[in-house]
Amino acid sequence: MATKILSVDDSRTIRMIVGRTFKPYDCQICEAGNGEEGLAAAAREKPDLIILDVTMPVMDGVTMLGKLKEDPALKTIPVIMLTAESGRDNVLQIAKLGVRDYLVKPFKEEQLIEKAGRIVTLQKKPTV
Amino acid sequence: MNDGASYLELSRRYGFAPKPESASRLTQLVSRQDADLDEIAKVIDKDPALRARLLRVANPEAENEAEYAIESAEDALMRNGMGCVLVLAMSTPLAQALVKTFQTMLSLKLESVDPRTAPPLTGDHLRCNIDFSGKVIGHVLLRLSSASARTIAAGIIGADAKELNDAAEICDVAGELLNIMTGNFKSNLCDAGLECKLSPPDVRITGDFTPPVRHAGSVEHLAFCSGNIQVFVEVTANPWSDD
Repeated sequence: MATKILSVDDSRTIRMIVGRTFKPYDCQICEAGNGEEGLAAAAREKPDLIILDVTMPVMDGVTMLGKLKEDPALKTIPVIMLTAESGRDNVLQIAKLGVRDYLVKPFKEEQLIEKAGRIVTLQKKPTV
Repeated sequence: MNDGASYLELSRRYGFAPKPESASRLTQLVSRQDADLDEIAKVIDKDPALRARLLRVANPEAENEAEYAIESAEDALMRNGMGCVLVLAMSTPLAQALVKTFQTMLSLKLESVDPRTAPPLTGDHLRCNIDFSGKVIGHVLLRLSSASARTIAAGIIGADAKELNDAAEICDVAGELLNIMTGNFKSNLCDAGLECKLSPPDVRITGDFTPPVRHAGSVEHLAFCSGNIQVFVEVTANPWSDD
């Protein structure tokens, strides 16, 4: 079964890059443009991994992470933060809420694969 | 374990790149309202590039160093104020974040050029602005020629630049690039005790070169190029806002 990954970012550029990054692998990518949509998508899709931005309109990534961790049905879904913000207070707060990893933008696609591969199974699609 | 130690440990665990120490130290000093001018001048004197930029700003009429009326970092500080030092100190990591973003996401090596002598933009271009507010207020403004913006967006998206005609897509890429740069910028300010928030990027294609409404404080202009790509950046910052 394909690994299901939820990308939550208000930038469609980043969502597109995340989608492209996992394209060679047997993954199903779902997308959300803010934390509120991200929570709904997480409840609906039950992804194997969430890749989460911090600064977003409507609901930011830190708030979404907090709500995710309060929900018994969702709290075990691993999260990788993907954000340009690596300020001390932000990182400490996020780590306290519980994330599996943290990747600071700008990033190389192979860095995301490396971090995701430590958490979920990434099976290469057979080449045609 | 205190928070500082925890943050260092997390930085190592997550593989964060180390932050530029001199800029961080200077920003911390400037962020204090009772900042000691001598101490700040000493930090500046240890960074020849920063010292040269400060003296250039303090002697706007001079054609070269021989004509400088203000020759010490301390006198330059007295003349230009702390906002100027903050902008100069922060523009270094901002420039590094810009260069790293282009290198990482586009494999493009941007070179810093003198904004006074760089060929200016004309006509319609892409203008992207992010304001920051809190204990420091200001903005970071990015301008690119339409052709540069199209080339950059195509590189990020993985499309053919000639076939990329979606202005919204080009603007979204530019907005995200500026988001990445200013996110790094904001992290440095917050770590120095200057907590602030960023506005969403305001991106538009325009022929208007009117600068955004400037907050009181200093302004720094930066320019970069790589082949036909030109990037112009304007940054302003004014510490100790009451917001």
